[in-house]
Amino acid sequence: MDYGRIIEMVPTGKRETLSTKLMDLILKSKNADKMPSSLARTLLHQWQQGPLANEIGLTALLEAAVILESEKIMDFLEEKLQLPDVAKAIKTVE
Amino acid sequence: MVRFGIEFVPSEPYWKTTFYAIQAEKRGFDYLWITDHFNNRNVYVTLTTAALHTEKIKLGPGVTNPYLINPVITAQAIASLNEIATGRVILGIGAGDKTTLKSTGVEMHKPLTAVKESVEIVRKMMVGKSVTFEGNVFQTSNAKFFFKPATEIPIYVGAQGPKMLALAGRIGDGVLINAGHPKDVDYAVNRVKKGIQQAGKRLTDVDIAAYTSFSVHKDMKKAAQAAVPVVAYVVAGSPDVVLQRHGVDEEKAEKLSGALKGGKWGEAFGLVSSRMIEAFSVSGTPDMCIDRVAELLKSGISQFVVGSPIGPNVRKAIDLISDRIIPHFEK
Repeated sequence: MDYGRIIEMVPTGKRETLSTKLMDLILKSKNADKMPSSLARTLLHQWQQGPLANEIGLTALLEAAVILESEKIMDFLEEKLQLPDVAKAIKTVE
Repeated sequence: MVRFGIEFVPSEPYWKTTFYAIQAEKRGFDYLWITDHFNNRNVYVTLTTAALHTEKIKLGPGVTNPYLINPVITAQAIASLNEIATGRVILGIGAGDKTTLKSTGVEMHKPLTAVKESVEIVRKMMVGKSVTFEGNVFQTSNAKFFFKPATEIPIYVGAQGPKMLALAGRIGDGVLINAGHPKDVDYAVNRVKKGIQQAGKRLTDVDIAAYTSFSVHKDMKKAAQAAVPVVAYVVAGSPDVVLQRHGVDEEKAEKLSGALKGGKWGEAFGLVSSRMIEAFSVSGTPDMCIDRVAELLKSGISQFVVGSPIGPNVRKAIDLISDRIIPHFEK
């Protein structure tokens, strides 16, 4: 499983909320310096092109959030968005 | 119509500053200013990444200083940046701050002369001239680029004291006034106007910007709380005359300064009063910020710069400014 496939599992109606949450998680993270430079470039490129609620933007955001704030994103997916399958799928990403 | 600028301190990884820069452009800001302190990320690296990810926003250092960066190197950096973002580059230059200079062992020698000479050198370099300059602070001998600068760039002078403000009016294409309270901005704009008149320029020739410490949130208390650390540093660096102008207890200000120097952040921030926040920042709900900007406009500013901390949540604050504050002044 990769992050692109995982984002496909997120219902369209929940993508906007997920995008906003992921942005705040990574922007407020104390681990901001752990962002890989190649992922940062992808994220910034997508952000420049448009909102990050599309599939490519969300994929980059999710990968970043897992690297920077793994526990918080899992809690959010399971408890707030009620998407335990998505959280489970993230654990399978190598 | 007033234009809106935004300032970022590159104290965090470059991708965060660039993220906010992109957002600021999308949300209608006209100017992006990046601070220049040796202890943060490099200003020109930050500006380059911002330039590569934006299309319209004007951008430049706000402000660099001629003591740590020789004016010919500033000219080189600006000319190079102007190849990436042609016609969008602006330069903010000022004397710098004593504390930072002191920690590098550099003395702030003849600040007025240093700034004046720097502006002259940068301007000459930017038109591709060979510059031989015999100044009191700077000297150059046939200094010339091996490339042709794309365009000339507007130079903004950062100023606080009365003489620097007048000089900024005389020589600047713009002025960055480091204040956000109507009493301070009113005083500063009058000094700037004197300089503009001395130079025989029209008031509209110079973009006068209030460069403020700003914090907005729907909850007034949260906005004020976010402003506390920045206000603490502003109070510690303010001369007595400014503290007196705002009725700030000088003894308390001295204690605060001592606590900051000793690294006692909790004590220092605890000494920041609501009066200090009111005097040295623009903070509150969107409506409160609108009122303050409107007051500053009466003083004659043409640009309002939203500076650190911007808000408790920078991303949300940028959206709030774009949704509520900027449209109010576009009417």
